[in-house]
Parts: sequence; structure tokens; C-alpha cells
Amino acid sequence: MRRLLLSIRDGRGFDIGLVSVPLAFLFAMAGLPLIYNIVMSFQEVDMFSLGTFARPFVGFRNYATLFSLPETWPILGNTAIFVVASIAGQFTIGFALALFFWTGFPGSSWLRGLFLVSWVMPGLVVGAIWNWILSGDFGVLNYILRESGLVSGNIFWRSDPDFSLWAVVIANIWLGISFNMILLSVGLSAIPQDLYEAAELDGANVMQRFYTITLPMMRSTIGAIIALGLIFTLQQFDLFAAITAGGPNNSSNVAQYWAWDMSFRQYDFAQGATISVIMIVFVMIASVVYVRSTRHEVRG
Amino acid sequence: MSLALRDKFMLVVAVLLAAVYLFPLYWMYVTAIKTGSAMFASPPSFWPSDPQWGIYGSVWESRNVGRYLWNSLIIASGAVSLIVILGTGCAYVLARYRNVWVDIGLFLILMLQVLPASLMITPIFVGFSQLGLLDYPRVAVILAIAAKSMPFFVVLVRATFMSVPMELEEAALVDGNSRFGAFFHIVLPLARNGILVSAILIFMQAFGEFVYSKSMIQAIEYQPASVGLNSFMGPNTNEWNNIMAYAAMYVTPILAIFVLLQRRIVSGLTSGALK
Repeated sequence: MRRLLLSIRDGRGFDIGLVSVPLAFLFAMAGLPLIYNIVMSFQEVDMFSLGTFARPFVGFRNYATLFSLPETWPILGNTAIFVVASIAGQFTIGFALALFFWTGFPGSSWLRGLFLVSWVMPGLVVGAIWNWILSGDFGVLNYILRESGLVSGNIFWRSDPDFSLWAVVIANIWLGISFNMILLSVGLSAIPQDLYEAAELDGANVMQRFYTITLPMMRSTIGAIIALGLIFTLQQFDLFAAITAGGPNNSSNVAQYWAWDMSFRQYDFAQGATISVIMIVFVMIASVVYVRSTRHEVRG
Repeated sequence: MSLALRDKFMLVVAVLLAAVYLFPLYWMYVTAIKTGSAMFASPPSFWPSDPQWGIYGSVWESRNVGRYLWNSLIIASGAVSLIVILGTGCAYVLARYRNVWVDIGLFLILMLQVLPASLMITPIFVGFSQLGLLDYPRVAVILAIAAKSMPFFVVLVRATFMSVPMELEEAALVDGNSRFGAFFHIVLPLARNGILVSAILIFMQAFGEFVYSKSMIQAIEYQPASVGLNSFMGPNTNEWNNIMAYAAMYVTPILAIFVLLQRRIVSGLTSGALK
């Protein structure tokens, strides 16, 4: 007993103690739910069996039911559109801004940091503001689009099934620009300046320097940021809750919102767990890509 | 074009870009103080002619904003305390050793970091209700947020510990300190700033948390401000000035912290996510 105490105070036990408690906590609060989620996706779960562990197993029936629902494929399609459009928008605008601020002028780093405001704002507040900006009759975005002659009539962003998903995409791009820009700036500042000086002496113009130096040097950073964007976009929930709530008629529903909706609006926990399992597999694949592209950092 | 002129030109463009980007934030503050008719005016006015400052007081009273913010504060503080107490030691050990177990541990932690809350809430809700934890809804939310955000904290703080020279700790050990003493008297004080910045980042995230609170807290008197804002926004609402006033009161404290600590927060964020 004394030796154990001594080891905890001054030896191997100190490290093991420090690391085992948090790992046990994470296992209980994240690992076990993950396993439980998979178990529930093979069970029949209703309001009456919610309190017991002894629920009947139904094999793959939940999965079969899920894919026989008429809304399943449209929602998975929406998820793909949401992810691709959000990442494309965030990355392009973020990269352009990062290149602009990279030129370096007085106050550039302070102004660049100001963009990160969107990252610290609660998602519900961002959603509420965009909900108001995108409002059909009185929204300021419609006003700006009308005045600049881009559209002739008001677009009902939130209630028109053709636009509702794009309403959330716009808000999500706004939200994601800042983190794309900051991380890309970090990558840009790591490129040695003398490469550009040498290229300039050789007579390479701006575009040539971008394609032959900047892009190749940024390859691993870009890979990591796109994987991270995929992870963050698949986590996006608050904007859906605040802007469209998946409607109208599922036209702006995506898998991560649908899983919650199944469990907490329709009280079908088994279906909710089934959707979750499918999506978690996707997220895991994305995160393996991310971890691989930042491996040198992980190893220290 | 002289260098100074180019700098000025770039600065003007940069300020314009920032203004365009931050326009939604400005629109929130402006809408909040508009009158009911000015809000729906066409064309909209971009500068409030008749500011209604009283709206903050009336929304604060009628929507119980104080209680909502208090719950947000309790939940965020609880989650951050739990994360700092558990996560700091974990980050320290993961920074101090380099072997295959540390690699495996880090990999698992990074994988946990990416699990979306809206997908994890189903098993967490069912499990917590079976354990009876939902009778203490705020505790349940604190535990769930702590598990969700701790990996991010560990990754950030580990980067801080890696920058503390190991020789300092070894010198303390040679001088007769125990591991315990060296950790608390040498390593922790040196890593204090990094831990503080990471804790503030986690706090701001937890202050805006929505999914777990919405799903697990049924009683209105325990709900945080994010859930309150959500129930304020009905599908056909037209009280946008009140909603924006609520949002402004919710987000202003966070923005104040951010502007004060901007430089540190930005560098803290970038050190952890990418290298």
C-alpha cells in the first residue's frame, strides 16, 4: 500500500494515474455510447423498452426499414450536396482571403484575426441572424440581390424547397470561411520566401508561382483542411435547427439532423441510432484522412 | 506605386472585406434597436433613425434572459472545470513520452474529437435515462459536453506542454522534488497561459452548446440561452427586433472576451489543429 502511494507521488504511478482517469472518463462517455449505438441499431426500441437493456434483437431489420423509406435517398443526397457545396465555398473564399492577407501590410494579422469572430459565436445565434437576413419578404439579402439586378423577385430562401438547402449552405459557408482562412494562412507562412525570390529571378509570373510553388507546397495542409472541413460540416446541426428545421418537406434535411429528428421528434430511437451508425462510419473515414495528413504533428 | 501607398490601398481593401464579412453581426445590432415598422421598411434602413434602447430591458424581463444566461454559465463552467481537471494531466503525459502507447492514445482521442454531437446524442440520451442521470439534467449535459470537448482541449494543451523544456523538470527532480512536486511547481506554472487560452476556447464553445441541452433538458428553468433562443424563434415569427436583441445580449460577452484576447486565441487555435 505504501509502495503504491509512493509510486503515485513519485514514479510511474503518477503518469498512469494522470492518464487513466481521463481515458476511463472518455471511454465511459464516448466509447460506451458508440458501442451502445451500434447495439441499438440492431434492436427494436420503443418508448416502453427505453428503460430496459433486454430489448429484442431484430438483425438488420432497422437498416432494411431505413432504406425502404422514401425520404432516405433524397436526404442522403442533400447531405452530399451540403457537404460538397459548403466545403467548396468555404475553401475557395477562405483561400482567396488567406492569399490576400498573406501579402502582408500593417494591421493585416489583426484584421485577419477579426474574421475568427464567427468561429466563437454560438451556432444558434449565427442561425438566428441568417434566418433574419434570408427572410423572404423583408430579408436584407433579397433587397441587395434585387437592387443589384441579380434577381427580379424575392427568393423565399427558407420556404421554397428549391432554395431551403442553399439557405443553410450560405450560412455554413459564412461560418466556415474564417477557420479555412486562418489554417491556410498558417500553411502559407510556412513556405520559405526564397523559393519565390528564386522563381521571380527566373521570370515566373504570379500565376506560375502560384501553380508551381504555392499549391505543391500546400498539398498536405490543403488535404488536412478539406478533411477537417468535412468533419465540421458533418457536425453542423445548429444552423439547421435555427434556419429551416429540415423543412419544408425534408427538402433541406441532412443525415445528421435527420438522426436527431428521428430520435427526439418522432421518438424512433432505433432508426435514429441506425442513421447515426451509418454517418459515424463516414465521419471516421474522414478523420482517418485527417489524422494521416497531420501525422507528423501527432508524432510530435 | 510607392510601398506606403500600396500598404494603404491594401489596408482599405482589407477593412472593406472585414466589413462585408462582419455585416451579419452589424445587422443583428441594428435590427435589435429598430422599431417594429422600421424593421419591415422597404428599402431597409442601414442606420437606425430612431434607436429603441429600451428593447434590451424589456426582452431581458419578458424572456427571462438572465435565467437562461445563468444556466449557460453554469453548464459552461462545469464542463470547463471537468475538462481542465481531467484533461491537463492527460495532455502532460501524452506530451512527455513518445512511444507506441502514446501514439495509440492520441489516435483514439483524435477519433473521439470528430464524432458529431447530433449523432452521439441518441445513445447518450437512452443510456443516461437508464442510469437515472436525466433527473439532474444540467449535470448530464455537463458530462456530455466534457466528453465531447476534452479531446480538443488535450490536443491544444499537449502542444503547450511540448514547448516546456524537459530539462527544467529534470533539474527539479535532481534538486529533490518528487514527480508530483515538479509537476505542480515547475511544469504547470510554465504551461499556465496555454491552458488558460484553451480553457477559454472550450468555454466559449460550451457557452453556445445546443444539441445536448435541447435534447436532455426538458424543464425550462434549467435550459441554457441557446435553447431559449431556439424556442423564441417560432416558424412564423415576426418579432425579429426582439430576437436580435436576445441574440445580442447572448453573444456580446463572448465577443468582448474574443476581442480582448484575440491574438492569443488565434495562435492557440492554430497550434493545435495543424502544424
